[in-house]
Amino acid sequence: MIKSSIKRVSVAALLTALASGTAFADAKIGAIFDLTGGLNIYGIQQNNALQLAVEEINAKGGVLGKPVEVVTYDAQSELSKYTQYTNTAILRDKIDVLFAGLTSSSREAIRPIVRKAKVPYFYSSLYEGGACDKQTFVTGSSASQQMSKLITWGLKKYGPKIYIMAPDYNFGTISAHWIHEFAKANGGEVVGEDFLALTVTDYAPILQKIQAAKPDFVVALPVGANQTGFLEQFAAAGLKDSIGIVSTNYGSGNQQVVVSPEAGKGIIANQGYFMQVENPENEEFVQKWHAKFGSEVPIVSGAVDVWNAVHLWAIAANKVGSVDNDKVIEGLEKGISFDAPNGKVSIDPKSHHLNQNIYIAEGNTSHGFNIIETYKSVPAVFENETCDLVANPGQAGHYVPGQ
Amino acid sequence: MTFENLYKSFKYSLPLALVVMVIAGHGAMDPYLAYVATSWVIFGLLAMSLDLVWGRGGVLSLGQTAFYGLGGYFGAVVAVNMAPVTGNSLIWLLPAGALFGAIAAALVGYLIFYARTGPLQTTILTYTFTLVLWTLTQSFKLTVGDAVIGGDNGMSNIPGYILGFGEGAESADPNLMFLIVVVISALAYLGVVRFMDGSFGRIIDCIRLDEEKAELLGYDVRKFQLYNFLLAGGVAGLAGGLYAGWANYLNPSIFSVQEALLVPIYVLVGGRGTLSGAFVGALLIGGVSFWLGGGAIGGQTTLILGITLIILVMFLKKGLLGALDDLCQRFLPDYNAAARDMKPVEVDSAVVSKIMLDAEAVAGPAKSLQSRDLLKRFGGVVPVDHVSLSFGPGTPHSLIGPNGAGKSSYLKVCVGLYPQDGGQILLGDQDISSLPMYERVRAGIAVKNQKPQVFPELSVQENLWMAAYSMSREPEKAGEVSSAILHMLGMDKQREVSAAVLSHGQQQWLDIGMVLCLAPRVILFDEPAAGMTNEETRELSKLVRLLSQYVTIIVIEHDMEFVRTLDGAVTVLHQGRLFTQGSIAKLRNDERVLDIYLGRRAHVQNL
Amino acid sequence: MDYLFAVLLSSLSSASILLIATIGLAVVFGLMGVINLAHGEFIMFGAYAALTATQQGVPFILSIPIAVLLTMIFGALVEILIIRRLYGRMFDTMLATWGLSLALYQCAVIIFGTVSPGIGMPQMSIAIGEYSLAVYPLLMIVVAASMLIGVYYLLTKSVYGMKARAAIQVPHMARAIGINSSNTNTLTFAIGCGLAGFAGAVLLPIVPATPSMGFAFVIKSFLIVVVAGPVTLAGSALSAIGMGGGASVISSFMTSVAGDIFFFALTLLLLRFYPLGISSRWRFKL
Repeated sequence: MIKSSIKRVSVAALLTALASGTAFADAKIGAIFDLTGGLNIYGIQQNNALQLAVEEINAKGGVLGKPVEVVTYDAQSELSKYTQYTNTAILRDKIDVLFAGLTSSSREAIRPIVRKAKVPYFYSSLYEGGACDKQTFVTGSSASQQMSKLITWGLKKYGPKIYIMAPDYNFGTISAHWIHEFAKANGGEVVGEDFLALTVTDYAPILQKIQAAKPDFVVALPVGANQTGFLEQFAAAGLKDSIGIVSTNYGSGNQQVVVSPEAGKGIIANQGYFMQVENPENEEFVQKWHAKFGSEVPIVSGAVDVWNAVHLWAIAANKVGSVDNDKVIEGLEKGISFDAPNGKVSIDPKSHHLNQNIYIAEGNTSHGFNIIETYKSVPAVFENETCDLVANPGQAGHYVPGQ
Repeated sequence: MTFENLYKSFKYSLPLALVVMVIAGHGAMDPYLAYVATSWVIFGLLAMSLDLVWGRGGVLSLGQTAFYGLGGYFGAVVAVNMAPVTGNSLIWLLPAGALFGAIAAALVGYLIFYARTGPLQTTILTYTFTLVLWTLTQSFKLTVGDAVIGGDNGMSNIPGYILGFGEGAESADPNLMFLIVVVISALAYLGVVRFMDGSFGRIIDCIRLDEEKAELLGYDVRKFQLYNFLLAGGVAGLAGGLYAGWANYLNPSIFSVQEALLVPIYVLVGGRGTLSGAFVGALLIGGVSFWLGGGAIGGQTTLILGITLIILVMFLKKGLLGALDDLCQRFLPDYNAAARDMKPVEVDSAVVSKIMLDAEAVAGPAKSLQSRDLLKRFGGVVPVDHVSLSFGPGTPHSLIGPNGAGKSSYLKVCVGLYPQDGGQILLGDQDISSLPMYERVRAGIAVKNQKPQVFPELSVQENLWMAAYSMSREPEKAGEVSSAILHMLGMDKQREVSAAVLSHGQQQWLDIGMVLCLAPRVILFDEPAAGMTNEETRELSKLVRLLSQYVTIIVIEHDMEFVRTLDGAVTVLHQGRLFTQGSIAKLRNDERVLDIYLGRRAHVQNL
Repeated sequence: MDYLFAVLLSSLSSASILLIATIGLAVVFGLMGVINLAHGEFIMFGAYAALTATQQGVPFILSIPIAVLLTMIFGALVEILIIRRLYGRMFDTMLATWGLSLALYQCAVIIFGTVSPGIGMPQMSIAIGEYSLAVYPLLMIVVAASMLIGVYYLLTKSVYGMKARAAIQVPHMARAIGINSSNTNTLTFAIGCGLAGFAGAVLLPIVPATPSMGFAFVIKSFLIVVVAGPVTLAGSALSAIGMGGGASVISSFMTSVAGDIFFFALTLLLLRFYPLGISSRWRFKL
């Protein structure tokens, strides 16, 4: 099922690239995503969204009146490939703008290279937050953006006691920081937390600790197969009736498809986008997507983040009448907005992050979600506080809260 | 210049020629190609560190990327803080990287070699070390001055290669980066090759070929293995420092399995044990994948590499350089031809006496060997059961007894091949019971085991030199001693012959020669006459009797005729215990001795 | 008190899961002297075989023997095509199986993609005081024990087992009395792989099938076999319970990271004192 869609997608991508390459393109964009390897459930969709967005932009007259050309690279879920292909894109293919990356490490690998080469760069994935760089624009939601809503919601729904279970790397530890912050601010209490190495598959010790701590709800943030494994074991131990589970990354890939209906039902997910969002833009987007890529796999939030990024860049370039680095960034920093599938999004000029809607959804028994709450135009609070690229254009770094 | 000389100079001349070409032509390269090719050279350097450990040292380490990554991280931390002060980044990046790589390797190596883990365990432990680092660094966060190690987000803003000093020094462009990496790698390569051509490299080769024999020659095997591992760790760390400056970014994925997988592939493609093969492999694989490009094939890199590794291991054992070397060998003179017209050994008393007097001048007078209540157990079997014996010079000692009497075990416990479970061993007045084997050898005890132990890939002369060098640690002196023994063995014309092509009997003589090169004060021979012709056995008997005038010599022998010709003191062991002692004549009439040789009565009657 | 009991029980189940994943590796290492670096991928092979079978409508319990059989056949092929040709070349065998492990991983990505639906765990739990434990992981204690007993009987009481042990202990003698050691080795390797396949299948409800799932087991499995030493079966059982169970207990009272640190620190300590494994001085042989 997934195999055939890969084949179709990569052939389509190749054809698009070839076809657009023959035209007299003015603007050239580079796309580096994980089309193969362990992260390709995200990478393929990100790349699809980029192709779809470019197609639409070109159909409407392109950028500066000419079609946009795309150069695609496959990072193979290997970090070193990001370094290599970013340099390839800049040194050999001389791109004007780069859309790339899923993991935070891929962004951090790319950031210094585009900074030196002065190429605008869009990072489109939910992440732990804190990236700040004149060249870099983030269209995914940050941990503080998501957590600010999820924790208040959870405290109200379940009660004040929280248990944190997170992977032992930046996404997990920084998310945990925000859970503490928001719990404190809203009268909640973290009664226990545990950080897991990437290779943990046996959750028995954690289930014991959760039961001993007696939380009202668990914030579960492991990634990929680890998450579904945990949810299965949690459900099998019969804990779901008494303890709620919320997550900012459940449903960001296709965990809801992998998990068994018994384990998936009632899990609270919180994202910047769900396929079930109801608005005209999303309806059109989903329709186009299904027509081109089929409807077997749910669309992930990272795909919409890429779609938004490409459109925002095109809007800015058309507005300033140039794809030149400085001018495009100037254009983007004018605070442009766009009616996206996940609702209206607008760029914060200071932090280069998006103000966007945050949705809370509940897992149902048919491997899908029901949206139960929508928060409109939520700002990236932490990033807006720490990062002011208008006042300090030289500011560059990756900020970690509490340091 | 003959082809022979040319061939020998290849490992220096060809890399130098390449470096000259790069110096001349780097400016004209496509910057993108220069940028990518830089990484291939760095991988070559990394692969060379594995070849040091594996190709030369014989230990497969899957942890070279760990030292590479650690060197990279540490070099980067130092460079991030210091480069803004000095301008130049290389003076921080590279030494710090190499140093940290070496320190990490020393710690891991100490654990592995001094705990005496087996080769298999060593590979698994190095692999695990890499994987554990990969897991732990995901969450490892540390801020040192301006350097921020951010867990899985890695470490950003690492300065590139800055050559100039002072403020405003710019980092090098891709073409200059390529040149810098080529020059540094060439220097590292030439340095390592030169070092490994010396005595250290030869000792490492011997350890790879026969670890036990290397220690029986008195080399502290653990120490040399550790130093070699440390050197390789330093080279890997240097490569890591170069990589950090090239990528400007480091992340835990440097410790990933995919990264580690490439290193043995480079070595196998180029040719194991050649050192230069590592670079050939890295350039070739890098070049081919560059030429193939990304796309459909690029996406299946892991699959292709995995299958490549299997095929390489199964079919291309010697790698590209190995195959080329085989081709060159055809045009070189055949050193082994001389093995065919080897004359039987004739022991010349005058020559032997001269050698033994020279040895005495260096090593002092003969020493006695005593065991007091010596005990060795293997589970329920007790091959050495509270044996107290004393041996001295003047007459040869024979150790006899039926199969399983514990003769060989006794010898092995004395030299330290088996650790004893009780009792004492005295060499002269010195208690050597707790000394490791190599120190016992250096104290003057030398053993020749039942099977001849020679280093097959080394020439006859080199075999002897290795033994002589162990004692003197001076190349010239080792040359003199080994030439004298070579002459004594009548193998002057066979000095260049590789030990592997010698017959069994000839290998026995070579092994005996190696023992004599050690200038031992106590000699233990375990069935030295096995595989020898009657004439050779006669000469051996003469040699043993001669030697006994200068040193203590103990011979285990089954050949009773040989024992008779030795005409010395005989000790009979039975079931791990001392049975009786005396002259051949006395034992011949001892009914009890005949009894323990039950079933071999007829043979024993010849005593 | 309830907590302590619940922790001990679940730690025993953690150790059992580890042991189930390790036995195949231990058998191959013990009887052939080969470390199969693709062991984790054989576990994955078994998991996907069982998963595919259940997707075709086969009940889970029946999918397990199917998975074992398929993995055994595949293991036999690997032995005949690769391992046999490298016999006696220890490092080369390791490198070849390492290459195999990556090739298999990538094949799984190509064939199954990186995510497949899980099969879910039986929704059964038992209560110990106020603590509730899922039944299926606890069942693994019984599974691990039966595996140990089964393998022990296979190796000591069956004709194959005697041949296999003879072939490894005195190869030339075994050949002389007519034991075809290469056939025996093929069978041994296939059995080792079959045990890995069994592990993948039986653990499927706990560990969902992913191409990289083998990776989650290998580090600890390798270390357990290395620490176990020459008496592989009993040694592995002891080290799995000591190291795996210990780590799980530490995880329950402290943090998961502390549990991992305990595991690795204990490994280093044990190898410092028993470089050839804890069983290197034991008398009996399995």
